Amino acid sequence: MVDFKNPQNQELFGQGNVGCKGCGAAIAGRQAMKVLGERTIITIPASCMATLGGNNTKTTWRVPFYHTLFECAPAISSGIRAALDIQGIKDVNVVSWGGDAGSADIGFQSLTGAAERQEHMIHVLYDNEMYMNTGGQTGSQTPLYAITSNGSLGKKVRKKNMLAIMEAHGIDYVASANIAYPEDLMAKFKKAASKEGFSYIHILAPCHRGWQIKPEETIAISRKATESGLWELFEVDEGKRTRTYEPSFTPVADYLKSQGRFKNLTAEQIDEYQKSVDAYYGRGE
Amino acid sequence: MAVKNLPIVPSGDPGALAEASNAAIQRIKRPEITDLAKVNPIVLLYCPDGAISLDENGILISYKLCKGCGICAKESEGIVMVPEYTGPKGIF
Amino acid sequence: MNKVLITGSEAAALGAKLAKIEVLGYYPITPAFPAMERLSKYIDDEELNCKFIRVESDHSALAAVLGASLAGARSYTVTNSQGLLLMTEVAYHAAGLRQPIVMGVANRALSAPHSRFPEQGDAVSQGASGWIQFFCENNQDIIDNTIQAFRIAEELRNPVMVNYEGYIQSHTLEEVYVPDQEKVTVFLPLNRQPALDITHPRGVNTVTSPEFYTDYKYIQNEAMTEALNVIPRVAEEYNKEFDAESCGLVEGYRLEDAEHVLVAMGSIVSTARILVDELRKEGKKIGLLKVKVWRPFPAKAILDLLQKARYVTVLDKNIVFGVGGALATDIKAASYGQDNLIINGVILGLGGRKCGVDEIKEAVNHTESSDSDKNRSEWIGL
Repeated sequence: MVDFKNPQNQELFGQGNVGCKGCGAAIAGRQAMKVLGERTIITIPASCMATLGGNNTKTTWRVPFYHTLFECAPAISSGIRAALDIQGIKDVNVVSWGGDAGSADIGFQSLTGAAERQEHMIHVLYDNEMYMNTGGQTGSQTPLYAITSNGSLGKKVRKKNMLAIMEAHGIDYVASANIAYPEDLMAKFKKAASKEGFSYIHILAPCHRGWQIKPEETIAISRKATESGLWELFEVDEGKRTRTYEPSFTPVADYLKSQGRFKNLTAEQIDEYQKSVDAYYGRGE
Repeated sequence: MAVKNLPIVPSGDPGALAEASNAAIQRIKRPEITDLAKVNPIVLLYCPDGAISLDENGILISYKLCKGCGICAKESEGIVMVPEYTGPKGIF
Repeated sequence: MNKVLITGSEAAALGAKLAKIEVLGYYPITPAFPAMERLSKYIDDEELNCKFIRVESDHSALAAVLGASLAGARSYTVTNSQGLLLMTEVAYHAAGLRQPIVMGVANRALSAPHSRFPEQGDAVSQGASGWIQFFCENNQDIIDNTIQAFRIAEELRNPVMVNYEGYIQSHTLEEVYVPDQEKVTVFLPLNRQPALDITHPRGVNTVTSPEFYTDYKYIQNEAMTEALNVIPRVAEEYNKEFDAESCGLVEGYRLEDAEHVLVAMGSIVSTARILVDELRKEGKKIGLLKVKVWRPFPAKAILDLLQKARYVTVLDKNIVFGVGGALATDIKAASYGQDNLIINGVILGLGGRKCGVDEIKEAVNHTESSDSDKNRSEWIGL
């Protein structure tokens, strides 16, 4: 669906951003903005994405952007939508773009509130599986056994399943996405933008610092997450669930061992991961 | 006493960071296009910094915006990373 | 103007309705919720064209209102005590972003221990937040101040808190003159200044370094200081337009030859008026200084009215622990160097404790006695 002969040449986000080189979040932002377009207002709670977006009198965004307080980006977006509606301003995407903390943890309350109200907006969770903006601490989206800056022994509990939680809200659209599959990601944003109610898109966007990989491996690692089956690409469109990409089921060990944050994984733990993936997809029975 | 002239609502000028980009200072390596025909235009969507664009010949890399992360070289044929500094090593 | 018998909650809701608010966000809390519900009813009955965002917490309530304000809509919310404290972060943030939000606060005591009774502690906790704060003496004040608040907020680009007391005002019926809708619409022209404007994109609230932060705060403080000029001017215009008698920054009552002045803000002002009349009948030269605006602190306006006094009793229905009452502390600081005044700070009415005429009389007597100590607050009603 991407017409490379006529790409949208104006970059609405990303140029000159002050993020690290090879930043997965920035890649996600760029891909999304190709679809959302200039009639978009984006609210971003405290996160790397908010910080890399600009400082003082300069910003990389070419659409209205607001760095919100940590907990309340979806509530802010609800207010923005109400204001646009009452002024009769139509055809504007209102998007709140949070990291894992700002969506699944500290920001969860306002996310679930806005979803329950079926606000006409899109919430994006760009997932680097740890609290990167403060140095890489453990959060609910950190996977089992992963090492973080405040958990050198590895996380003892599983990653909280945000996609299932958001699906349970009965909202218009829920989708998982991956920056290594830009066409799939962009198609999902297009669908979300067309919905009247609440849409939730959860993007896997690796952070090379936190995951302890080389910056150039960002896309490759992200691809492995989906090819191994760990990060399923699917959508739930008004209750109808569809897998949007069939993985080739590369070994989970390959994905895990390529990352420094999983370096202490034992063979049993890797096996546990492989078994959980197999069980999920109904393989190897 | 000289108070700066600032907008009433603390805010930044749109797109201003693109002009003030300090990406070039961060580079240790930079991407060079060795075979334009072989380059996969998907790298346009993989660049975190919007440094790759398309003109009638094919892709174009902006060295003002490129931080040298190496993703484009890894994800496509026809691009290689070359070091920014090729002089004597180990002096500093 | 028609005269009605309404509660303070209804007065606040009516003020917001006359101001034709466009976005309302609120999370219910006692005793503020009747005002909220009244507004929801106006919307449901199509008497008010306003979007209501039924948020899931007080923090989100002010956040939703802030988002709406940033996108250019006139927005309003009501809360008190615990809710106000929860949204403190958003309150400071909204003031820093210079948004013209108006908030009604039905003052209530703060937990712990858990109390639902009236007191000024919640408002006092926001003293440094950058919000302009009004205190209402009665339900008439509530509607007058709410309407004026929108005008002042939008001129100065600064949020305004209209404080009234839980139960004593929020749930009590009083006679109120209601201004005419058409005149209010003219008095409050809609001056949209969206920071999030699709036609003029900007990056709001970028990460700010030391070179800029101080300047922003200086500019914000200048706006607060300018409020000391704007507030009386708006009150005067309001009084002329609506044939009203609303207060500017402060108001004196029987101060002409007063040797002893009672200073107070909020509902206790009306109680103090009764005592002043009583004591005047007995020949005592006593007067009352009503403080309507607590932030910005109208030091000059207050001191001007205290020129001829000797004793000053400041009534605080709040306590700043380790310091004293908020109003008394501000007045003592402002009167530094003025040796002619004996200022006595009194703490009373905390958590809804009775603070009637007798209690205030006790305070008056204490100020004039040898026990009066300018370095300590006197707790009345224990």
